[in-house]
Amino acid sequence: MKCIVVTPEKTEIDREASFVVVPLYDGEYGIGKGHTPVVARIGAGELRITSADGGNAAFFIEGGFLEVSGEVVSILTDRVLVPEQVSLEEAESRLQKANALPQTNSDLAALKEKALVGARGMLFAARKWSKK
Amino acid sequence: MAKARALDKRRKSIRNIRKITRTMELVATAQFRRAMERAVSAGAYTQRIAAMVADLARAGASVSHPLLEERQAKNGAALLVLTANRGMCGGYNSSILRKGHHRADELKNDYEKFRLLVSGKRGISYAKDRGIELTASYDQFNDKPQYEDVVKIADYILSEYLAGKIDRFEVAYMKFISVSKQVPVVETLLPLSELASDEAEDAPESKNAEYEFLPSPESILEEIVPTAFRVKLFKCFLDAAVGEQIARRVAMKAATDNADSMISILTTTYNRARQGQITNEIIEVVSGASALQG
Repeated sequence: MKCIVVTPEKTEIDREASFVVVPLYDGEYGIGKGHTPVVARIGAGELRITSADGGNAAFFIEGGFLEVSGEVVSILTDRVLVPEQVSLEEAESRLQKANALPQTNSDLAALKEKALVGARGMLFAARKWSKK
Repeated sequence: MAKARALDKRRKSIRNIRKITRTMELVATAQFRRAMERAVSAGAYTQRIAAMVADLARAGASVSHPLLEERQAKNGAALLVLTANRGMCGGYNSSILRKGHHRADELKNDYEKFRLLVSGKRGISYAKDRGIELTASYDQFNDKPQYEDVVKIADYILSEYLAGKIDRFEVAYMKFISVSKQVPVVETLLPLSELASDEAEDAPESKNAEYEFLPSPESILEEIVPTAFRVKLFKCFLDAAVGEQIARRVAMKAATDNADSMISILTTTYNRARQGQITNEIIEVVSGASALQG
């Protein structure tokens, strides 16, 4: 199974994988060999790729879409960060900023919701990685 | 020796200019290659988005979205003009500015309110010289436009559009067609005319699989349309960056060639002047000697 991660700027990851865990809008979603074709919205959080030899790789991704078709898992996302690029302080300040956003009308509320999802996903990933 | 020396001086200064233009040509060539690579790797994303939209349409999701609807209202319009930060690239800036200026006048007549956004120092100073008011100006985009920066502009436009403050958004930029052909164009980005653009044709052949959509085709479409707009705007910036480097390379190559031909003409003239002077001197010496003998 092939796992391809594409951002608008370039193809970030293109490798063989045996199992992929993608953070969808409502929780993590695992994809193994022979998965049914799916198109889904991605939230924010940790992307885990298990390669054929059992090695693990983790990335932070935010927003975008997942497409599983045949033996290819393609992930279209706005940005990909490696764990070293994610810091706990940054995630916390992002959450504070997101909490401070106004939600006086439905458009602003939707924006705030989006910012909160991104910040929470980042914080969750940062907490997990900082423990290691 | 007065004339010959003056010619030699000119030849030297042209040689120096040639060195500069030649270096700029080489730099532009390298930057063009890098910009081109970026534009090509960005293509992968747009192709996949287009393929996904095609799959959604096949799955029966009605492709309708506020960003796709043509509006009757003519309250406001916005035009973004993409120029370069630097000159020395032939007619690149002026051709875009001419096109953009023309379109700006049209939009100003048709719409109640008109906003002009300019990227690139050349465009900003053009507007300043003519006393044209700018809503926003950007000069942080160089030969490597970052997606994050473009998204900021895209999101600002999106929010204004959804709030009904603008009903049309256009971009004037240098469209990349091939390495030897770029044309200045004005493109309408909002309302988005079509999602599955011309790139869908060369999108990877999607197997006619029955997709499962999470959470629903409509929800994905809702998210994919603004993304398509952002990516489209990003592509405009990438095209402009590539076009700028090509234009600079061509202009600098022409300048180097001109310098070469000028140097060869000046060399001929210099040699002739030098020879003439020597002949003169010999004549003087010979006639002086013969006068003494006589």
